[in-house]
Amino acid sequence: MQTLYHPERIAAPLVRTGPRGSGQWKEVPREQAITQLSERLGELRASGRPESLALLAGYCAGTMRDVWHQFMQAFGSPNYVADEYADGTDAIMEVMHGMRRRPGYDLERSEIVLSFGAPLFESWWSPLQAFVAFADPERPNGRRPHFVQVDTRFSRTAARSHEWVAVRSGTHAVLALGIAYVLIRDALYDAQFVAEHVAGFEDFTDEQGRLRAGYRSLVSSNYRTEEVSVITGVPVERISSLARAFSRGRPPVAVCGEEIMRAPNGLLAGLAVHSLNLLMGSVNRPGTVLFGDAPPLEPLAEPVLDPTARAGLERVPVADGAARFGTGSPELPFAERVAAGSEGTVGALLLYYANPLASSARPEVWRDALEKIPFVVSFSPFLDETTHHADMVLPDLLPYERWQDAPTPRSYPYPVWSVNRPLVEPPEGGTHTADVLLAIATNLGGSVAQSLPYEAFDALLKTRAQGLYAARRGTVFGSEFEREHHRQMEQRGWWLPMHTDFEAFWRELVERGGWTDLYYDDTDPGNLSATPDGRIHLFPPGLLDALQVEAREPYIDVAPPATAETDDYPLQLIPYRLSTLASGTLSLQRWLAERPSLFPEVYWHPWVEVNPVTADELGLQDDARIRVVSDSGRYEARVKVFPGAAPGSVSAPYGLRHPDGAVASPLQLLDGTVDPLTGLQSWFSTRVRVEGV
Amino acid sequence: MKREVAEKLEGMSADERILLRPLVETSRGFYVMAGLLGAVTLWGLFAYYLQVRYGLGRTGLNRPEYWGIYIISFVFFIGISHAGTLISAILRVSNAEWRRSITRSAELITVLVIGFGAIQPIIDLGRPDRLFNVLFNAQLRSPLLWDVISIGLYFTASSIYLYVPLIPDLARIRDSGIKAPRLYKFLAAGYQDTPEQRARLHKVIGILSIAVIPIAISVHTVIGWIFAMTLRPMWHSTIFGPYFVIGAIHSGIAAILVAMVVLRRAYHLEDYFKPVHFDYLGRMLLVFSLLWFYFTFAEYLTVFYGAEPAEMRTFWAKVSGRYAVPFWTMVAGCFLIPFALMARRSTRSPPGVLVAGIAVMIGMWLERYNIVVPTSVNPIWEIESPGQYLPSWIELSIMAATFSGFILLYMVATKFVPIISIWEIEEGREESAEVAERVAGYLPEPYRKLLDFRAIGDE
Amino acid sequence: MTRWGMVIDLDRCTACGTCEVACKSENNIATVSPEQADMDRTMSWMKVEVEVEGEFPATTMRFYPRPCMQCDNPPCIRVCPVKATYINDEGIVGQIYARCIGCRYCANACPYTVKYFNWYGPEWPESERQHLNPDVSVRPRGVIEKCTFCHHRLQKAREDARAEGRDLREEDYQPACAETCPTGAIVFGDLDNPTHRVAELKEDPRAMRLLEDLGTEPKVYYLASRQ
Repeated sequence: MQTLYHPERIAAPLVRTGPRGSGQWKEVPREQAITQLSERLGELRASGRPESLALLAGYCAGTMRDVWHQFMQAFGSPNYVADEYADGTDAIMEVMHGMRRRPGYDLERSEIVLSFGAPLFESWWSPLQAFVAFADPERPNGRRPHFVQVDTRFSRTAARSHEWVAVRSGTHAVLALGIAYVLIRDALYDAQFVAEHVAGFEDFTDEQGRLRAGYRSLVSSNYRTEEVSVITGVPVERISSLARAFSRGRPPVAVCGEEIMRAPNGLLAGLAVHSLNLLMGSVNRPGTVLFGDAPPLEPLAEPVLDPTARAGLERVPVADGAARFGTGSPELPFAERVAAGSEGTVGALLLYYANPLASSARPEVWRDALEKIPFVVSFSPFLDETTHHADMVLPDLLPYERWQDAPTPRSYPYPVWSVNRPLVEPPEGGTHTADVLLAIATNLGGSVAQSLPYEAFDALLKTRAQGLYAARRGTVFGSEFEREHHRQMEQRGWWLPMHTDFEAFWRELVERGGWTDLYYDDTDPGNLSATPDGRIHLFPPGLLDALQVEAREPYIDVAPPATAETDDYPLQLIPYRLSTLASGTLSLQRWLAERPSLFPEVYWHPWVEVNPVTADELGLQDDARIRVVSDSGRYEARVKVFPGAAPGSVSAPYGLRHPDGAVASPLQLLDGTVDPLTGLQSWFSTRVRVEGV
Repeated sequence: MKREVAEKLEGMSADERILLRPLVETSRGFYVMAGLLGAVTLWGLFAYYLQVRYGLGRTGLNRPEYWGIYIISFVFFIGISHAGTLISAILRVSNAEWRRSITRSAELITVLVIGFGAIQPIIDLGRPDRLFNVLFNAQLRSPLLWDVISIGLYFTASSIYLYVPLIPDLARIRDSGIKAPRLYKFLAAGYQDTPEQRARLHKVIGILSIAVIPIAISVHTVIGWIFAMTLRPMWHSTIFGPYFVIGAIHSGIAAILVAMVVLRRAYHLEDYFKPVHFDYLGRMLLVFSLLWFYFTFAEYLTVFYGAEPAEMRTFWAKVSGRYAVPFWTMVAGCFLIPFALMARRSTRSPPGVLVAGIAVMIGMWLERYNIVVPTSVNPIWEIESPGQYLPSWIELSIMAATFSGFILLYMVATKFVPIISIWEIEEGREESAEVAERVAGYLPEPYRKLLDFRAIGDE
Repeated sequence: MTRWGMVIDLDRCTACGTCEVACKSENNIATVSPEQADMDRTMSWMKVEVEVEGEFPATTMRFYPRPCMQCDNPPCIRVCPVKATYINDEGIVGQIYARCIGCRYCANACPYTVKYFNWYGPEWPESERQHLNPDVSVRPRGVIEKCTFCHHRLQKAREDARAEGRDLREEDYQPACAETCPTGAIVFGDLDNPTHRVAELKEDPRAMRLLEDLGTEPKVYYLASRQ
């Protein structure tokens, strides 16, 4: 609500009157703004260069995202640059299961949840899902899952989990394979599942005809408990007891977090973690990894492509060269290309909930890039740093003022579609971005208009809901009893329509806020794997190809090379996301900005956490103002002496700003190493030092 | 001073000449001092204006440190008020002749200091505009309410106790005509020093002397109970009532001593503040420093033996932690220095008592600080993190202004009333023979004759 | 006899902090500036206290959501000179903002430090005044405030129940923190009503209260398997 009533909210479209960044704007009426924008975009199409339109979309999900895609396709531009929260787990699923999507975890029905660096109770996909699983799961025997957190630092998730296993930075996957070693050695794994559904457990011949060591031999020879203990710092008995507890879980599940993937060997580490699930058959069973389907919404019609569009789509996107198994963070390569290229490579840039001058790892590259782009439009309702440098602002409406939908949080295994209608009158000049796009499409006419033939966003949502109605499954949000009733019916193959017609269904859908289907068919083998041979691959052929070039091996190269401690940079930087980060508007919400985290007694000012022993060595006092410095950047913060921080490291929360608005981002200090397979930036390979201010 | 006044003064007795001179003659030093003190007081008023305008946020107070300089000053000033009334009352009641030169200055301290002390909690209020809620919505269960009542009573009683023994001197000034005749006619209230009036005066003074003692003791007991009735570690103590009274008398004696030294020098009162006065008061200071030490030691030993966690946090904060410097300075000021100086006759002299008196005043202020602050910053529930207290310039300015205002008003008062009771000095001279007899009467019969002074004198 | 109380299950609390924010939103609690926050003047009627102990890697962090304990034997009401803080016959310890003179005696008397003082007047930007809860008065400068178990919600719930001609149900009156807690760790109700969950939960073997030996009789219970 503090965002909704924020005094600095932009209430009407703005057009720049002075030079860029001067803060001189004049308000223009809604219609005029839309017409102006349509004209500019029309010019791009008319000049035959529709691909010079680029969209940088940050938080963009649900039907909005579909509308944007549709628009960009029909317009003829392949330059949809998604600047989103990627955790790389979809790449794991792609290579192992042949399905490019993030895994869903049925935490509620697990018995032991072994989380490798996943911030379940904080900035995870759906911390609420984890909360419910932790505290209040709908289990027949009332027992709650046992949560074990494997983490480098004592995060809040680790504090609330039942156990915390402290590992050295980057060695989570080594621990996972150490556990696998015990499971194999003591024959605690699900041999039947492995035999029937998994490929690569035993030695095998690869596509080139070479004999390769299988998972069993690799793990058994390289991950003996004593060696794993030395590398990870976890005591030998702990590794064994973790393995045994994991094997006894009915069922167990291993969750792979973003931390694992943000390393030079990220994808390989992720494979190692997920392999534990394969060993225990923890896929496609209650309480394990589930690949629920998306809600069966009516899809948008195929975009109509005219020759201009077709030509545009064939041209090479600006942010090309995405990694083999992921797009990583395309915003930086995009900005680098634009900054290095000639003016006009990108003729127009649309910013949708993206603020790269604050959130990018290299904001100075973006500053250069923006100079090369003649026309920049922002849809942000606040004058953030990047919007400040735009030419035009069509402020989106705020959440309570607009129609919007939200897809399933991808960690949740059941399809959910929630839809919200406006509760508050929007301001006079307010422009719902979706409606703006629809209006522009109409103005552009031709194939673009044909691709988005909807009069308004709510009409579009209603059309999509027809798919749900026609699918004859699931239920509108309701009481616990209603949900459980539907689930049990569907388990037995029944489904009762609860509404006489679609209108009644739509009315109740909007009233209750959404639709879900809590029935998961775990007998469907199609949910297990979509690979050609139907098996889940421990050694995916595509991956082996890619690795050959770099002479890296799965299940061998899972830990990052140890970063050398230098005199200049003696400490390791460990960034982490705050749970209050959400949509990046933390500084706008004063209640959250005042106390951004439940870390003891931090108010307003960005902080970093340092172990007391390390603090003593460096002569740092609690609350001292310091500067964190790496080779690539620096920022100011306060020291909090915290025994949960690993010695020799600086734990730095990401997403904070100083009270004056200056960004305090550890991501701007990173050394730029990426995992070449996923494109994800490595977060834990940077070293820093701390200076007094 | 005008010629006629000077002539009139010449015509008076030696006592009057010396003791009334300050009323008509003012030195340059006085004006300079008054100007300085006035400036400081005005500065403090300005600081208070800012506080009222913008809020208590202008102080250094916070959560959990809710009480600071103002409450410390409150307890300190009300403590000093025990000087006058209590000492002068006790000495009157016990017929101690050496009190005669001391009573007036002591009573004046009391009345002024209660005023300045009583406004401190008002300054401390978040809503001083709602002050009268204390009367309209009074909750008698609250120790603060008891405080309001007892201070009100004490102020009234002390004012009367100052005024009544002042009447004869006021009449004397009225009759002499050396200053503002109409004012003194009004103040003297028609006193003609007839025998009946004198007798009535003595009776009233006698009653007041007795009545004022329990009121005075109740005042500081209640102030101690403000703290003791909470559950805060090292506040919730049963000896706070008596402890505060002892401490108050201690600081009161120190205040009188300092005042005496200054007045003696400023107004050339060496004949009136004689070595014996410093000697006797110095001994009282010695006794009270020992008493203070006894109470303090008992308090801290009990806490230490109890080893209750919340109390020990506060205890160690004072003894060896963040508040060690104020704590040990307090011990030096309240006990070590006065003990060392007052234990030896040679240092029970004006310079000696000046040093000891100032040391005690500083020590007692620090004692109030040590009671309020270390407890406030250490919450009972150990999970709450300890706080900190840094007084702001506004608080310090207001405190400075309180001191300067008090000294200023005292100085101005000495320009209007004689600082030593003239009629009591004269009375003392007249009665010295009776006193000698009385004292001789304390001894058993056979020795009386040997001490028959009158007989000797006649011969 | 109705006695409103709360049971907070520390084993279910995930330390998300939603209760703190919900309380601030519901009760129009102002933020303070960074300088004021440095001086320990933040206001959080419901505050999640954090206790960190141990050395790496054997560290523990425990979280205690701490509202006003609403003691049955409150030390704060006895010391108020103007009776601005009082306990009503349903056990809620209230605060009369219009009468408080700001002496802070009650704040000193409270062993749980749950009383907050308005050192400056709260400042709300014009636009934000629209989101203030109209059922809760905004406090002026110089008065004490604290958690009231969202007492305004009780009044509203009673009126609604009366208008609909029925009794008050357990779910009708829930403070903002209890309503919003995502794990259901905060449970609220009438401790003396056997049909309310809190009446049963307070008898749980894990139940304890803070600083019980002081005799304040707090009506907030904590369920914790580790003390």
